[in-house]
Amino acid sequence: MAGDPTATDAPYRVTLEHADGGGTAVVRARADESVLEAAERADVALPFGCLTGACATCTAELLAGSVEHRREPRGLKPRHRDAGYVLTCIAVPTSDCRLRVGSDVAGELTTNPWR
Amino acid sequence: MSDTEHGSDPAHGHDHEHDHEGPGYATPQAAIEESDPEGLAYVMGLYVGTDVDAPDFLAVVDLDPDSATYAEVVDRVEMPNRGDELHHFGWNACSSSCHVGGLERRHLVVPGQRSSRLHVIDAADRREPELETVIEPEEVFDEDLSAPHTVHCIPDGQILVSMLGDADGSLPGGFLELDETDFSVDGRWEAPGEIEMNYDFWYQPRQNVMVSTEWAAPETYYPGFDLDDVEAGRYGRQLHVWNWEEKTVEQTIDLGEEGMIPLEVRFLHSPVSTHGFVGAALSSNVFHFHEAESTPGDGPGRYEAEKVIDIEAREHEDWDMPVPGLVTDLLVSMDDRYLFFSNWLHGDVRMYDISDPANPRLADRIWAGGIYGPDHPIDGEREVVAGPQMLQLSLDGERLYWTTSLFSSWDEQFYPEEGEQGSVMLKADVDPRRGSMTLDQDFLVDFGEMPAGPARAHEIRWPDGDCTSDVWQ
Repeated sequence: MAGDPTATDAPYRVTLEHADGGGTAVVRARADESVLEAAERADVALPFGCLTGACATCTAELLAGSVEHRREPRGLKPRHRDAGYVLTCIAVPTSDCRLRVGSDVAGELTTNPWR
Repeated sequence: MSDTEHGSDPAHGHDHEHDHEGPGYATPQAAIEESDPEGLAYVMGLYVGTDVDAPDFLAVVDLDPDSATYAEVVDRVEMPNRGDELHHFGWNACSSSCHVGGLERRHLVVPGQRSSRLHVIDAADRREPELETVIEPEEVFDEDLSAPHTVHCIPDGQILVSMLGDADGSLPGGFLELDETDFSVDGRWEAPGEIEMNYDFWYQPRQNVMVSTEWAAPETYYPGFDLDDVEAGRYGRQLHVWNWEEKTVEQTIDLGEEGMIPLEVRFLHSPVSTHGFVGAALSSNVFHFHEAESTPGDGPGRYEAEKVIDIEAREHEDWDMPVPGLVTDLLVSMDDRYLFFSNWLHGDVRMYDISDPANPRLADRIWAGGIYGPDHPIDGEREVVAGPQMLQLSLDGERLYWTTSLFSSWDEQFYPEEGEQGSVMLKADVDPRRGSMTLDQDFLVDFGEMPAGPARAHEIRWPDGDCTSDVWQ
């Protein structure tokens, strides 16, 4: 695609697997670019909300590779972080990585507590 | 009669301490007598938190029974961004400014609960409103506030918005004041430190009082409901009684274990009343509050709150724990005679006689959707998966409408089909003389049938004032 960043200025290959079986997209992330920003730049729509790490609407599961959160991912509890959930709005790839994305992933953070 | 039409119509001068030249009605009774039946509704429509690649929108719903498009969404105003979570919204002006000539009820202030972006929609053309301006999240964060919720116009051309978090989505929340003349951010309304948690508020200016309620920090409730957060004390259970003029909390009332998560708060409409109601959503109780004792000076007196309606949790064979009703919305009729509220989990909407406000009397109820109500409350119509939630009542008290979505992430926990199938808007015909309600079998607005995909539907407003907007000085 014309205008696509080259591997040089967008070093990381980010594979986005849709949780609901909606297919896989591969985007390239620039240094310091969040997963969500990289996806948006490639016209891959992911869910999001506050964009500050508080709301967890953009939750994804990191399946391979590494990311660093720009700031505290406050919408994720310790048990979520330990289970590999990340917030794409503030998660910056630090290697090639593979994530499970889509609205179903945020839905896994909480269940009906009475049922 | 439209507020954008009558302007300074001298026919609307009434027996009131001010001449009625501005928007709204001179008294609550005038609203009942002078208003036309609502010809359309504005409803918040949402895609946030789904895989639908579209922004949230303001829906215009045709409510004219003689129209060919009755009970259909006839226009949608899309927001410029995705991810807002449109939730509650309000007018730039209401009956509290009815003495202000030249002011019109014309602009809707539509906040994004998750994005902290505030949209201003020009509804001069009631059927085809247009986005006018946007206050971006950064301007809100600059005031160390986030998560806008309730919008009330306040007298003299200002707009007040309850804010549930600080710029990080943590506590404390506060209030944001907007300038009605240009919809710019005026700044934080109160001095920081008056409250920690925030949610809804209602002011009763003649009593110089405001009452605010508590949900939780945005970072707590945004991702979903977690009982661990309740046990850790991260959910609210207090009412705050404010000196309206001074913008200070004079009294904080702890509602206790039976008052967990007090959400919507409504004073009676009569400006002389100090009585009101609040629904404690999690505890599924309704509290009545009132000024029990006046105190010297201009401030509000000492308020008391007591539980007056207790919704018992019910056993269900598929649930490990009894199912709470979840009283998520309530409203008071314009004549102050009836309280309506929703049990979002149980699936019923109730009507109580509050002619003795300390002793509400169940008058009627309707079951529609929810855990215990019929999945198909209207024969031959689509399934209703969630219970009654946001309510709105006609000014004359004869038509009650409701939608079924609570909050995207909480819907997903309790009614995951709501996002997949979209919400509905239903209606009951109310007889305010007999104290009865009947589900209208000919009215269902299907938000599952929107062009971009199934949408959730939340708060409802009428073009010319409603039972949860208007306040009288």
